[in-house]
Amino acid sequence: MDFAALGLTLRLASLTTLCLLLLATPLAAWIATGHTLPRRIAQAAVALPLVLPPTVLGFYLLIGLGPATALGRTLITLLGHPLAFTFWGLLIGSMIYSLPFAVQPLIVAFASVDPPTIEVARVLGASPWTVFRRITLPLSRASFLTAAVLTFAHTVGEFGVVLMIGGDIPGVTRTLSISIYDQVQELNYSAANLTAAALVALSFLALLIVYARGNRRSELA
Amino acid sequence: MPEPHHLLRVRTNLGPLHISAKMTLSAPWTILFGPSGSGKSSILRAACGLIPSADVQFTQPLPEPQSLDRIPAYRRNLAYAPQGAVLFPHLTVRQNVSFATDIRHQPHAASADAALELFQLTPLAHRLPRDLSGGERQRVNLARAFAVPAPHLILLDEPFTGVDRSLRDVLLPLMQQFVTQQGIPVLSVTHDIEEALILNAEVFRLEHGTIIDQGPASQVLAEERARMLNLLNA
Repeated sequence: MDFAALGLTLRLASLTTLCLLLLATPLAAWIATGHTLPRRIAQAAVALPLVLPPTVLGFYLLIGLGPATALGRTLITLLGHPLAFTFWGLLIGSMIYSLPFAVQPLIVAFASVDPPTIEVARVLGASPWTVFRRITLPLSRASFLTAAVLTFAHTVGEFGVVLMIGGDIPGVTRTLSISIYDQVQELNYSAANLTAAALVALSFLALLIVYARGNRRSELA
Repeated sequence: MPEPHHLLRVRTNLGPLHISAKMTLSAPWTILFGPSGSGKSSILRAACGLIPSADVQFTQPLPEPQSLDRIPAYRRNLAYAPQGAVLFPHLTVRQNVSFATDIRHQPHAASADAALELFQLTPLAHRLPRDLSGGERQRVNLARAFAVPAPHLILLDEPFTGVDRSLRDVLLPLMQQFVTQQGIPVLSVTHDIEEALILNAEVFRLEHGTIIDQGPASQVLAEERARMLNLLNA
């Protein structure tokens, strides 16, 4: 078992989940509150990582964060080194790759809050921010858990993006899924089996949490 | 004490229905009466700021007349009990009723306790809406509106849907007494003749978005009865 890879994977998945929820909440709130074209464009863009091959995403990230683009050059000047093949490059890649898994459940949750409920809160004196804080957020609590678990699990399982943007540097960018690939390349099947089984267990546990919560929620409704 | 005169004028277009209504709220309790689809609920929603395109004027005895059009719903300082008891599903009865005072940072406000008491909800204070009957939910809906601290106007949409008659007959005089003491005008939408007669309120009769009759309930509804009788005899 590659414990360095396990630690790195858990750190990457936790940080990705935390950063993504912070980013996804306002984004989902904006997308959920109307039917304008910019919102639909944003929604389609957010869902893009679902259909793109991870290698395509990884390739564009590698190019975008590198010296070939203005953004990449600015980042290199600011940081003193390129983001590719570092943990932080991996974090950005993971965030984009898992973005739909964080945003989509929140859009659904925010949009499913009954409009009359929001209207009566407004008339009783609640500003848009108060409505969001006191009505929309508490009613969407279960979906935050869903978004967090799905993002975490999806990040743990990523391979293509990680390999393209992070490479395979032990302790820096070698995650569990890449570790399995390496172990298989070395014909070390028993180690690969152990790591793979750990990933299956982790993913199953994550889905179990989501579905158990989901069923409890439907009982409440 | 001289009776306050509030004036509410609402103009809006909702598809084929053109609404144009001007109401003097001279009595503490005014009833907007009419068949379904006549625009009653829309007038309340427009007054609340829930129909963005509506042209709404509201005049109070003090200070000066004001147009509400540019004032967002949450700054209009109104109390509103919508049709169908729309409660906050994640909040207890007490939290629902004290919503307006809580967001104004007035925790443990007397108005919330008084409203719970008035609508006989104190024993249910810790229940969630999903554990209430239809009539109980409707009472929470009303109590939540009555707990708004010093609103300009209380707007009630079909306030006694689901509440049994005997309880309605108990609650109506208490509610009327409450608003008379506080000096807050009430505009209530209904198609229930009895409700109007019990209160002997000022009635505005609405058809196709236009007020076609107004006056004390006994007078306006007597005319309606006579008209119905004429139709039957014809």
